[in-house]
Amino acid sequence: MSGARAADLLESELPGIVKRRAEAYGETTVWLDRERLVDACKLLRDHRDGQYRMPLFVTAVDWPEREPEEPRFDIVYQLRSLQYNDVCRLIVQVPEDDARVPSLERVFAGMDWHEREAYDLLGIDFAGHHGLRRLLLPDDWEGHPLRKDYVSFGEPVAFTHNLEWALPEAERPPELPGESR
Amino acid sequence: MTALPPLGQPPARTDEVTDQYEHGREMLGVEHRLDAVDLVQLDDDTMELNMGPQHPSTHGVLRLVLDIDGEMVRECRPDIGYLHTGFEKDFERHTYQQCIPYTDRMDYLSPLFNNLGFSLAVERLLGVEVPLRGQYLRVIMCELCRIASHLIWYGTSALDLGATTPFIYAWRDREKLLDINELVSGVRMHTSFIRVGGLMADVPDDFYDLVTDVVKTFPRLIDEHELLITKNPIFRDRTVGLGVISAEDAMAYGASGPVLRGSGIAYDLRKADPYSSYDHFDFDIPVGRRGDVYDRYLVRMQEMRESVRIIDQALNNLPDGPVNTSDRRVAMPPRNELNTSMESLIYHFKLVTEGMRTPAGEVYQAVESPRGELGFYIVSDGSNRPYRCKVRAPAFSNLSALPHMVRNELIADVVAVIGSIDILLGDVDR
Repeated sequence: MSGARAADLLESELPGIVKRRAEAYGETTVWLDRERLVDACKLLRDHRDGQYRMPLFVTAVDWPEREPEEPRFDIVYQLRSLQYNDVCRLIVQVPEDDARVPSLERVFAGMDWHEREAYDLLGIDFAGHHGLRRLLLPDDWEGHPLRKDYVSFGEPVAFTHNLEWALPEAERPPELPGESR
Repeated sequence: MTALPPLGQPPARTDEVTDQYEHGREMLGVEHRLDAVDLVQLDDDTMELNMGPQHPSTHGVLRLVLDIDGEMVRECRPDIGYLHTGFEKDFERHTYQQCIPYTDRMDYLSPLFNNLGFSLAVERLLGVEVPLRGQYLRVIMCELCRIASHLIWYGTSALDLGATTPFIYAWRDREKLLDINELVSGVRMHTSFIRVGGLMADVPDDFYDLVTDVVKTFPRLIDEHELLITKNPIFRDRTVGLGVISAEDAMAYGASGPVLRGSGIAYDLRKADPYSSYDHFDFDIPVGRRGDVYDRYLVRMQEMRESVRIIDQALNNLPDGPVNTSDRRVAMPPRNELNTSMESLIYHFKLVTEGMRTPAGEVYQAVESPRGELGFYIVSDGSNRPYRCKVRAPAFSNLSALPHMVRNELIADVVAVIGSIDILLGDVDR
């Protein structure tokens, strides 16, 4: 059962840090507060029963419909321990108006690019990152494409029945062709 | 003509020579340049050099911004994203079967691993088991693909160091592997051969002959490749002790695959977390010691031999039976059933029009691709398409360790280090 080792370790060493843990498909997921994320990751990295020293990725999952009951973004960290051959998953939830987590680049050197990618594609602010710039998209890109509310395809095509929707006022022809359609 | 003065002595100052000399100084602006050079400042003054994105040795469109001091690289800032295609966004609006061709195009030199990783993740969500024959065929095709990918790496990284011959030989041998791809799937590169629930189809009879031929000939061909390079003094001078990364740093950067193993950590997901019945086969994990370019080279060459071993075992023990799961919610019913069974027709119709619905949940499934740990993190909301699919690309993490590897190396060696990481921009940028 992957990830159970990390969850047990967090529960025994830092009591109260695990807000929730769940197991599905043989993988254990741990929910944390962002205030204690760095402590948790340092513990997982350095403790001799953890040794989660390899960062696999960080990304976010956008659930816009569930606000305000639950925060909008799940920020997902996946770490691997080569010594114990285990993968653990940590999730930090942040709301839309304060989508910010502490940066882990000082804990894992490899988190640098993954955090920039998550900032680029999902607009998550990693506080304390040395240079949080766009990584994959051009610097002048607008918006964060992997957010669910990002309109990424299709452009309005003007037909006679939808001119008002498709074209701005100035570009509409003065008279519609034909009587009715 | 004025007679040349003896070596080491200034020219005799005839008026004519002096005039020419002064004129030359004016023309060249030598006076001005000599004044401008401040030797003290030169020491810590670095120049910014742009390498790529069209540089031939960046294997695609990678741009490096190098801070150089003379010939030495002080800092390297990779600029990626030139090949970013937004596959992760595409996944979110396609059904699971429709995603498979997209996965081909991410790591386009080892498309089958992408197929496999995605399929395994979805199969875990669905709780579907692929029959043993399907699993063995997946292993054979993947290992053939690993050899093909390593051959390209071998040819191009040797070419970067000035060796043209290996490139031609590598292409010659890779053709044999692509022929097998073509035979089983009709396509040479983007095969989409591995599908959720099994394979596109069972393999034709010629498959056994072609693969047996590969198993018989490739050990000798790999020897041939090694003969060209492994003990070549120029190659060794260029690569031994270059681009060293310690095991500790490799882990911290999330580097995996041959980069991690070249640094001495015997970690291979085929052994550590056997998927697709890799635990049925006997093979070794080649490991390097120093973590330099040469060790990564040795690891990959040895990996090709191990792949041949795996293919040999899988082919000899290939079980009979179906290649696809019998779960009709996932795999298409056989064609002849459609003529006689109403249920099959309905399942077929539902699969084609609607796809398969996975239960809500999230899985992370990793496979050992030629470049390292290729992971798929799929979040499902219970619909017929992934709610979110994050691809953990091995080359992305490996490339993020490049600045660490090339710091205080020569510019010319940056090329060798890039080659040894075996990056693929389709994989890095996705």
